[in-house]
Amino acid sequence: MSSGEPIRRIAIAGDGIVAWSAAAALRRRMPWLSVALVRAPVAPGAMADCIASTLPSILGFHDDLALRDDDAVQRTGAAVRLGTAFEGWVEASPGYFHGYGAHGRPFGTASFQQHWIRAAQAGDARPFHDYSPAAALALGGRFVPPDPSPSAPLGRFEYGLVLDLPRYRAMMRALALHSGVSETGDLAGVERRADGGVAGLHLTNGNRVTADLFVDATGPAALLRAGAGGGREDWSRELLCDRVVIADAADAREAPPYDRVEARADGWQWTASAARSTQTGRCFSSRHGTPEPDGEVAELSPGTWERPWLGNCVAIGDAAIAIEPLEWSNLHLAHSAIDRIVAMLPDRDCVDIELAEYNRQTLAEARRVRDFVLLHYVTARRAEPFWQASAAVALPQTLEHTLIQFRERGRLPVHEEETFARDSWAAVLFGQGVVPRRVDPLIEDTDPAASARAMTSFHGELISAVRAAPPSRAFHDQQGRSAR
Amino acid sequence: MDGPRSQRVIIVGGGTAGWMTAAALARLLPRRCTVHLVESEAIGIVGVGEATLPHIRAFNERLGIPEADFMAATRGTFKLGIEFRDWARIGDSYVHPFGTFGRGRSEIDFHQYWARLHQAGIAVPPIEHFSLACQVARRNRFATPSTDPRELASTFGYAYQFDAVLFAPYLRRIAEGLGARRTEGKVVDVERDGETGDIAALVLESGERVEGDLFVDCSGFRALLIGDAMGEPFEDWSQWLPADRAAAMPCRSQGALTPYTSAVAMPAGWRWRIPLQHRTGNGYVYSSAFTSDEDAARAIAAGVDGTPLAEPRVLRFKAGRRARGWVGNCVAVGLAGGFLEPLESTSIYLVQQAITLLLELFPETRIAPSDRDEFNRVINLEYDRIRDFLILHYHATERTDTEFWNYVRTMAIPDSLADKMELFRRRGRVVKYREGVFLDASWVAVYLGQRVIPVGHDPRAAAPPTDALVAELHALAAEIDRTVQAMPTHEAFIARHCAMADAA
Repeated sequence: MSSGEPIRRIAIAGDGIVAWSAAAALRRRMPWLSVALVRAPVAPGAMADCIASTLPSILGFHDDLALRDDDAVQRTGAAVRLGTAFEGWVEASPGYFHGYGAHGRPFGTASFQQHWIRAAQAGDARPFHDYSPAAALALGGRFVPPDPSPSAPLGRFEYGLVLDLPRYRAMMRALALHSGVSETGDLAGVERRADGGVAGLHLTNGNRVTADLFVDATGPAALLRAGAGGGREDWSRELLCDRVVIADAADAREAPPYDRVEARADGWQWTASAARSTQTGRCFSSRHGTPEPDGEVAELSPGTWERPWLGNCVAIGDAAIAIEPLEWSNLHLAHSAIDRIVAMLPDRDCVDIELAEYNRQTLAEARRVRDFVLLHYVTARRAEPFWQASAAVALPQTLEHTLIQFRERGRLPVHEEETFARDSWAAVLFGQGVVPRRVDPLIEDTDPAASARAMTSFHGELISAVRAAPPSRAFHDQQGRSAR
Repeated sequence: MDGPRSQRVIIVGGGTAGWMTAAALARLLPRRCTVHLVESEAIGIVGVGEATLPHIRAFNERLGIPEADFMAATRGTFKLGIEFRDWARIGDSYVHPFGTFGRGRSEIDFHQYWARLHQAGIAVPPIEHFSLACQVARRNRFATPSTDPRELASTFGYAYQFDAVLFAPYLRRIAEGLGARRTEGKVVDVERDGETGDIAALVLESGERVEGDLFVDCSGFRALLIGDAMGEPFEDWSQWLPADRAAAMPCRSQGALTPYTSAVAMPAGWRWRIPLQHRTGNGYVYSSAFTSDEDAARAIAAGVDGTPLAEPRVLRFKAGRRARGWVGNCVAVGLAGGFLEPLESTSIYLVQQAITLLLELFPETRIAPSDRDEFNRVINLEYDRIRDFLILHYHATERTDTEFWNYVRTMAIPDSLADKMELFRRRGRVVKYREGVFLDASWVAVYLGQRVIPVGHDPRAAAPPTDALVAELHALAAEIDRTVQAMPTHEAFIARHCAMADAA
């Protein structure tokens, strides 16, 4: 039975956004804990710490910390992002936009997606993203927060942020310290227990930090977790990109409220802009014979610990799960791990059965994110060897199931711990030209002409609503003023 | 528009499952199929008074069935949950509500606070005092829930208890009104295609041959198509769910009309009590390995609380499901596909899920293997999760008074359930699943009701000062009390909204 000895002290190793976010969240959401942070430098391969683009879930993470938008967004120079523009993923085909949140408005007996599929089969459909409020705002360079009424044309969409990484990290660090987290020094070494668990952390100043639970946020090296043992699940046979180069530059140019992701011969590249900084980067496969680009090249070994939490050590961020930044899931997965630690905190004895449930959820989530990233490659169509090899990988069973169900009849089965909503899966699948063979028979009760009228009418409302919305820059300026 | 050729759907069996399937297909896929149902009046239907889950409301709504009309026609009553008596110990009673505990909106589950106080030795009332659904049920009241999630009155849902013998004819009128055909007759042979193994036609006693493209087996336990014809194996779960018979016995209504079903533990199983407008359904679900039919009949006759309206009638069954519910061109819906005892009123829910999936995966001329696979994946998941939930009721007992209870108390249970129970016991954690019918509050109700009491709690539940927490609990109980007081009695609500026409 339970030892009944609660966890009282947590030590976090790391020094990036993930470590400081964990420190702030654990301390603020469980104020009875004593939380210490031991600095360990952020490796360039730590995607969750180094990628500027984030998913809409970051706003929920801020809410749980009682962080206001003017502190978390405006004062850190972050910008809203409504989605991603994809270019070049399917040769000889126009790009597409993955906008967050709902597409279209359901009517009759079927989902909006089914109306779209039927129109697409008849060769009579606008691009799917034309029905995404997020995409419409983004491509118009405009922004307003979602209308609280779900039936409004600009309701039911979501948005994430592009972070100005150093400023955001500084804000999170200040919040953590203000909340009572102690910053104890720099990591020099890890002292092990006989069973591989962490006995203590040695600091360069000669001190030793002990705790009931150690959180490893040290990036891919996983300085704490790696020595504890256990195996890794390797995704490198499916996800062929193994190198990332990132360049962050200060600028103040007029940037749109979305990022661009462009396919290249050996991978893809991106551009994402915060208020006064822009991140560009490349993600590629070193096995596909292109010269190394300039800049610091980080290596990436996609995969996850089979047990991210083992004994008294839980790995989060890239210390737990390494995946390329396509679709920007990295910081989301770290936030999700932090939320899960808060929701599932065991006793000091960290018994296996409680950790097993943590690990079950964590792996289910990670594998589905892997599936979603992989989806982009296996449905892309380009002639280069990298793309041919990517399209030919053996699919994980879960993704294969999704693709069979979707290709056959537009069905998108929901899995446990799914990060990306059906609308997101549909945006990528439709965007890359995958049109189901059949349509849901339940739609047949609605006349195609009535479908077409409803779709046209929604699209018209969307266009008018976007025209009336302010430019995204104006939104930021206004928010910035109100923050001062 | 040019669609795929319309499919000839042949449904075998005219009970609840058969007519629900017929009505749904005729209403929702009129261009895709013609519906032809074959039933024999010589074969009785199992319908014994049916208790449902809240999901039935969505089904009715989809078919355009008005609630009041349906309730009056089936002599239905409202159901807020199930009362379990004598399960963990003789004398115990708890309600598994269709609703949450507390206000249902906090970041930390209400039962974590309850567990914390309980563990600290502070006297707190049983958790059902903090569930509006439980309290409305206990006091025999009813009103429809609020749709405003901020209100306490939004924290419950409801289902129906109705006469299944009346539900099938009600649906039949709807289905036939939408063009479904019905043939009276007994199936004596099933012709299969020599090459594909698919069912080609049914041969009736009259000699009539009924051809079709898709055959839906709603023949109940007999499983004429999926079992006899297709030979799909049955996965037997009786090692965990040993009850294999029921003795049913309706009686006159007596006392207040309860807005809940009762499940009372018995020496070799349990008995249901389902209150309808015109009578009360009763039945003793028992294991023939632990008691005889005669003793069971005596026990049910002694257990009913009104004048019996018939002699006890014995039904036989076996817990489990087909390995696959859809094989070739044959889809099993209802008892032909699997049987789980009615302890948690899941029978009609499982029928409904099978129909919903069949609608979503309805085939073109040729059935795609991916349609069948997906149907079987999702349906099997439903059965498997309900199975674990049912086993919990039996296994989590302290009873030692009969061999039956000794068996279920000490039997080996599936690992999936053992892990779930251990997680709850340690810290009140409920394993979260996206699919599956019973959500967190259901598991909490049954764990606590069965005396699986956590020894630890979520550390966050320790945050509020004890006095403040106790005061908040009292305030909540008082608000629940006021809300219940303002509701009409169940009987008065029915009289006003959906009373049956006087029984003939």
